[in-house]
Amino acid sequence: MKRVNGAAWVGGIAVLASVCGILASMILPSYYLYLSITAISVAVILLGLGLVSGAAGMIVLCQMSLAAVGAWVVTWLNASDAPGSYLIWLLLATLVSALVGGIIGGPALRLRGVNLAVITLGFAAAVSGTLVKFQFPGTMTGQRVARPDLFVSDQGFFLLCCGIFILCAIVTHFVLRGRLGSGWHMVAFSERATAASGHNVAWLKLTAFAVSGGLAGLGGGLMVGQVGAAYPGSFGVVQSLALYLLCLILAAQYFEAALIGGIMWVFIPELFKQAGIPQDWGLIVFGIMGIQALASGTTIGGGLRGLWHRAEVPNADSAPIHDVDWIRPIATSGVLDVSGLSVSFGALKVLNDVNLTVNPGEIVGLIGPNGAGKSTLIDALTGFNPRHEGVLKFGNHHISAISVPRLAQAGLRRTFQQDRVPGALTVGQYVDLVSNNASATDEVARVLAFFDAPRRNHPISGIDVGTRRLLEIVAHLCARPQILLLDEPAAGLTGDVRARFARQLRKVPATFGTSILLIEHDLNLVRDVCDRIYAIDFGHVIASGPTQEVLGNASVRAAYMGAVA
Amino acid sequence: MLLQGALSGLALGGVYAIMAVSLVLMARLIRVINFAVAAVGMFGAYAAQAVVQVGGGGITALICGALIGAVISLLIGLIITTWLAEADVGARSATTVGALLLLLSLSFVLFGTAPMAFRPIVTGSAFTIGSVVISNITLTLLVSALLIAAAAKAVLTFTMIGTQLRAISDRPITAELLGLNVAALTLSVWALSGLIVTLVIMVVAPVQTSDASSLALLVIPATAAALFAQFQRLDLALIGGLGLGTMQGILAQMSGTQVLRDWLPLLLILCLLLWAQRRETWDEAR
Repeated sequence: MKRVNGAAWVGGIAVLASVCGILASMILPSYYLYLSITAISVAVILLGLGLVSGAAGMIVLCQMSLAAVGAWVVTWLNASDAPGSYLIWLLLATLVSALVGGIIGGPALRLRGVNLAVITLGFAAAVSGTLVKFQFPGTMTGQRVARPDLFVSDQGFFLLCCGIFILCAIVTHFVLRGRLGSGWHMVAFSERATAASGHNVAWLKLTAFAVSGGLAGLGGGLMVGQVGAAYPGSFGVVQSLALYLLCLILAAQYFEAALIGGIMWVFIPELFKQAGIPQDWGLIVFGIMGIQALASGTTIGGGLRGLWHRAEVPNADSAPIHDVDWIRPIATSGVLDVSGLSVSFGALKVLNDVNLTVNPGEIVGLIGPNGAGKSTLIDALTGFNPRHEGVLKFGNHHISAISVPRLAQAGLRRTFQQDRVPGALTVGQYVDLVSNNASATDEVARVLAFFDAPRRNHPISGIDVGTRRLLEIVAHLCARPQILLLDEPAAGLTGDVRARFARQLRKVPATFGTSILLIEHDLNLVRDVCDRIYAIDFGHVIASGPTQEVLGNASVRAAYMGAVA
Repeated sequence: MLLQGALSGLALGGVYAIMAVSLVLMARLIRVINFAVAAVGMFGAYAAQAVVQVGGGGITALICGALIGAVISLLIGLIITTWLAEADVGARSATTVGALLLLLSLSFVLFGTAPMAFRPIVTGSAFTIGSVVISNITLTLLVSALLIAAAAKAVLTFTMIGTQLRAISDRPITAELLGLNVAALTLSVWALSGLIVTLVIMVVAPVQTSDASSLALLVIPATAAALFAQFQRLDLALIGGLGLGTMQGILAQMSGTQVLRDWLPLLLILCLLLWAQRRETWDEAR
C-alpha cells in the first residue's frame, strides 16, 4: 500500500515538474532560458555527487573533472566524425565517465575519509592541468557539436535537459530508497556493520562512484550540447571544490536539493553580476554557506525532507505481541566449534589457545573483565581478523579464510558493541538491508513486535541508542542465521526494558532456531538467559560449564572483583 | 642536466617539505588535514604584494603579509575549534576545503585572476656546484625546511609546551580538566602555521607560476609528502617534500614529460597510500 503511494507521489511530482519545465520554456526570456540550461546540467552533476558524497559519505573533490570526461567524450566523438549523433554520444559519455568514476573509486576500497579527499583533489588538479595544455578536441579546428534536430532551439534543448533531469531524479529516488541506496547509507555509517550484514562493501562503494561519475559525465555532455563546445575553464579545480561545498550545503542526493543547487550555481553569481559586483562573490557565498552547513550540521535538502516527513501521518502503533507464532527448526549439526584459537597483536597475545563450542539451540555466555579478549574473539570468529591461529568450524566447514560477508550470508552473524544502526534509514529499510530480505514484511513486523521495537516506517534518527541496539538484533534475526554473536546487547537498556529483553532473548533459540553466543557484563542477564558460560581473562579461558557453577567459581570472582580467592 | 633539474627542484621541494611538516603537525595535534594551508600563504603573499603596490616598503609588506596569513589561519582555527570541536576529522577537514574555496575566490575578487609579478624577497646566487648555480632562494628554503622540521621535532619532544600539545591531541577533555588552555594552544598552532607558510610562499612566489590557483594547489604535493609520512613522522615529511620537488625538477628537464608532471603527485599519492594502507581492510573504529 505504502509503496503504491510512494510511486504515485513520484509520478505526480514528475508530471508537475514536466509541466513547470514546459511553462518555463515558454515564459522565460531567452537569456534566462539559456542560463537555466546550465542550471539543469549542473543539477544532474550535483545529483551524482550527492549520491557518492551525501549518501555514501565519501569526500569527492573531482566531480567537475568527471563532468569534463563526459564533455571530452562528446567533443572527441564529434571531432573525429564518429558515427551516430549527439544523443548517442551523450549516452557513451555517461558510460565512459561512469567507468572512469569506478576507476577513481578503486583506491576508495582501501582509502577512506580524508585520504580519499587528497586523491580526488589530486585527480582534479591533474585533469585540469592536462585540459589546459591540450584543450578539448575540436577546439583548435573550431568543430562545433550540433544539437539533435528535435532540440535545436534553446527552448527545445532546455526541454531535453528537463526531461533528462526528471528521468535521473526518478531513477536515483528509487535507487536511494532501494537496497543499493540503503547500502550506501550503511557504508557511510559503518563499513564493518555493512560487511557483517552480508553485503560487499567494495561493490557498494564502486557502484556509488560509477553512478556518480555517470551522472557527472551526462551533465558535462549536456553542457557541451548547450554551448556547442567545451572549455577547460568550466571544469577547473575551483568548480569541483564549489560543487562539493554545494553538496554539503544541500544534501544533493535528494533531487529537489540538486535542482536548487543547480539554480544557485547559476543565479547567485548572476545576481552579483547584475548588481555590478564581481561574479566570484558567488563562490565566496558557497564557501561561507558550506562552512556554515558543516558547523551547524544541517543541510537544505535534509531540512526539506524533514518538513515532508513531519507532514506524513505515522502508522498507529499496534499492541505489542510477545510471542511469534511460527517456529523454525533448530539446526541438528554442531553450530560453532573453536579449538586452539590464538590472536596476537605484535608481541601481545590477546587470545591464547581458546576452546569453545556452541551447540544447536543453546545460549552460551562469554564473560570476562574489560580487555579480556571478548570482542577480539568475536572479530576472529566472524572474519574480521584473518590473522589468527587455530581451527574454527561453523557446522562442518572450516571458516578461518572466509570473508565477513560470506560468513554472514552463510548464517554466522554478529552485532557490535557500539551503535551501528545508521540514522539515515527507516526501520524497514534497515531491517530489509541487514536481513537481505530473508523475511517477508509481515514476518519482520512480528519480530519487531517480539522485541517491542519501533515499527517499519519509523525513521531511525528519532530512536534512542538502546532501542537501536535492539533493532540491530531484530534485523539480524530476520536474516534467519544459525548463530548470532551478541556483543553487549543490554548496554543502554534499563529496568523494565532490560527485563523484558532478557525474557524474549531466552525464547530466541526455540522461536527462531538461532543459537546465541552472548558477550555481556550484566551478570544478572547472563544468569537469566545462558545455558552455559565461558569466563576468560587475559586471553585464557579460566572457567567453563553450567552458568551457576562458573559464576560461583573463585577465580572468576577474583577476575571480576579483584578479590583474593 | 639531471643534477641541474634536481637542484632546481629543491627550492620547490623545500616549500613542499615545510607545508608537509605543517600538515603533519596539524593532523597530529589538532585532528585536521588543512587543505587551506597553501591558500592561506597565497592570500598573505597577494596581500603583501598589494601593500607594495600602494607604496609600502618591502619590510612593511613582508610583515603585513605574514600577519594577514597568521590571522586568516587563526580564523579558520577559531571556526573549527568553536563549532566543530566534537566533529570527526572528515568534517573538520571539509571545513578547510570551504576555506580553500573562500580564499581562492576572495583573491580573485580582490587581486584579480591574472598571475602577479611578485617582488623578489631573496635574490642572487649562493654558490655553484660544477656548472650548476644554487640560488639564494633554494638555499633559504632548504635551510628553513631543515630548521622548521628540527625545531618542531625538538619542541614536541623536549619542551613543556610540546608535552601539553601532545596531551591535547591524545585526550583533549582530560587535558582541559588538567587546566591546560586547550583553545589558546590550538589556536597558536594555527596562527604559527599560517605565519610560516605565508613567509615561505612569499619567498618562492617570485620564481613560481604565481596565479592564485597554482599557489593554493601547492597543497596537493604537500599532502603527498605528508601522506608519505603517514601524517605522523616529521622527518619523513621533510624527506618526502624534498624528494617530490627533486623529482619534479628532474622531470622538468626532460622533454615530453609535461603531462607526466601534472600527474606525478597523484600517482605518487596513490602508490604511497595503497602501500601504507595495504593492511587497512576495515575502518578504524571497532
